[in-house]
Amino acid sequence: MLFIWLICEKYIQPETKMSAAAFILASFTSPERISTNPQSVLWLLPLVAAIAVVYKATKVPTIKISSFLKEAVILFGSIIVFMLVTALVLCALAWLITD
Amino acid sequence: MTQLSKQNRTLSSLSVGVLAWLVPGAGHFALNEKKRAAIIFAAIVLTFCAGLYIGSIGVIDPVNAKPWYAAQLMNSPAVAILGYLARTGNYPVYGRPNEIGQIYTGIAGLLNLLCIVNAVYMAHLRKIHTAGD
Repeated sequence: MLFIWLICEKYIQPETKMSAAAFILASFTSPERISTNPQSVLWLLPLVAAIAVVYKATKVPTIKISSFLKEAVILFGSIIVFMLVTALVLCALAWLITD
Repeated sequence: MTQLSKQNRTLSSLSVGVLAWLVPGAGHFALNEKKRAAIIFAAIVLTFCAGLYIGSIGVIDPVNAKPWYAAQLMNSPAVAILGYLARTGNYPVYGRPNEIGQIYTGIAGLLNLLCIVNAVYMAHLRKIHTAGD
């Protein structure tokens, strides 16, 4: 980390650093383009991962990386499976009602 | 004496809660739960920043989206500054980016609320255990 910082200090010009900072800040002032296609539902995956990680961080008695990751992954999978099952049931209901 | 100890306990739990609100994970850090604090901080800050990146700071709307703003404010009081900036209307955002940005930042705030409650509860339990010893 220190090595990277030293290289940055030596070789990257102050103007470049300023423009990089401005670019990062500017990316938070204009929205991304997200279309309303079915793929946009995939945006739920990082959110579900964050929910699983934070929930497990508050629930496990002691944090050991391997067991913590295992529990978080299991919760993440459970949420996704439950959402898929719910989506399938709703699709089936819609199909039954409309046909 | 008992009342004084009870007051100290309340104050300590309150200070842990305030710390946890000021910076996500700081409440757990104050309780010497450093790994837990680091995980909470990283997860909540990344989720909040992802929401801001997707929808811009315009997703923090204290005028037209008050319920979302209440949830977003649970991240940190610093969100009020972003709300003040966004109130000017210079950062318009509509449609799917607005929805996803609000959901990400709102859920991050609610997750931090869960962590605040958890930190206060842990502080309370520790006080009870130390009082019992």
